[in-house]
Amino acid sequence: MSSPSDAEVIGRSVGEPEAFGLIYDRHAATLLRFLGRRAGAKVAEGLVGELFRVAFERRKTFDTSRATALPWLYGIGSNLLLKHRRGEARRLRANARLAASHEAGDRRASAAALDARVLFRRVADAIETLPDDEREALLLFAWEELPYQSVAEALELPIGTVRSRLNRARAHLRELLEPKGKRRERTR
Amino acid sequence: MKPVDLARKLRREAAFEPEALDRGKEALMAAIRQEVEPTRRPTIIPQLPYADIRAALSFLERAFGFREIPTSRMEGADGVIHHSLVEFGGSVIGIGTQGAHGAISPQSGGIESQYISVAVTDIEAHYQRALAAGARIAKEPRSGGRAYEALDPEGHRWRFVDQRLRELPTKA
Repeated sequence: MSSPSDAEVIGRSVGEPEAFGLIYDRHAATLLRFLGRRAGAKVAEGLVGELFRVAFERRKTFDTSRATALPWLYGIGSNLLLKHRRGEARRLRANARLAASHEAGDRRASAAALDARVLFRRVADAIETLPDDEREALLLFAWEELPYQSVAEALELPIGTVRSRLNRARAHLRELLEPKGKRRERTR
Repeated sequence: MKPVDLARKLRREAAFEPEALDRGKEALMAAIRQEVEPTRRPTIIPQLPYADIRAALSFLERAFGFREIPTSRMEGADGVIHHSLVEFGGSVIGIGTQGAHGAISPQSGGIESQYISVAVTDIEAHYQRALAAGARIAKEPRSGGRAYEALDPEGHRWRFVDQRLRELPTKA
């Protein structure tokens, strides 16, 4: 017999709450990594607890036509992360420094290294500057590698909206990454 | 490089301690139990009168394994307990002050007007526990050791039966 789908488990947990523990067993590690990437390991541990408590409380509202609960859980996590934006911004800049040293390799003092530092610092700032809805769609897509359909489920949006939101995020990034002089006024 | 690819370069692997997962599971299951418990609303709660509630609670736990629900305890400023609830399996019993609601402890009234029948999973172990705690045995285990009766310090009679004998007749 194949194991029950998330939808079946969540359905069962409405009358038999302990069954919800299986949802944790299946997805907690993935979400802990997701939250850790965004907010750091320490904050992530607290958040993952909160995430699953919220999910448990809302289990009756889970759309059981979806086989996997992962996008739904990502969506709850995304909302919780909004409260930790400041820590996220710091983390992004630290990641930018790491990415730059990675890119420049052993040519620490070279012009290329300097360029990489400037570039990635700008990428970090650009991601940071995106409106919340665009940033969230972009990071779920680019970092968590969720397909459009899953991003749509996580953010509770029609897939068309996700597509246009990601396009807007791309356009904004491109714009924000342009050297200062060439940057056009944003028309939002 | 495309903007999304640049954004990808800032992605980091995130490690966590394996214990963090266990702690999270523990917290979730505790939250789940919390939610389950308040929804338990028994339709019938037998209320038993005692002259000394504190002694009764202690005995019922020691001898029979009934656990007091700590949040249910009603205690006066003088430290006297007026009422509390004990649970066992899926059931709850009230432990109250004799004289309240017209109920008298058998020890004071001189008669037993009722007994309470309780299903247990391991009747032999339960019997030994009651014996060790000083319960007065009113009826030794019979019918293949499937049931026995004991009196608590104030004379309330408890009948303990093997869970397997406790199938209620189904409705027609």
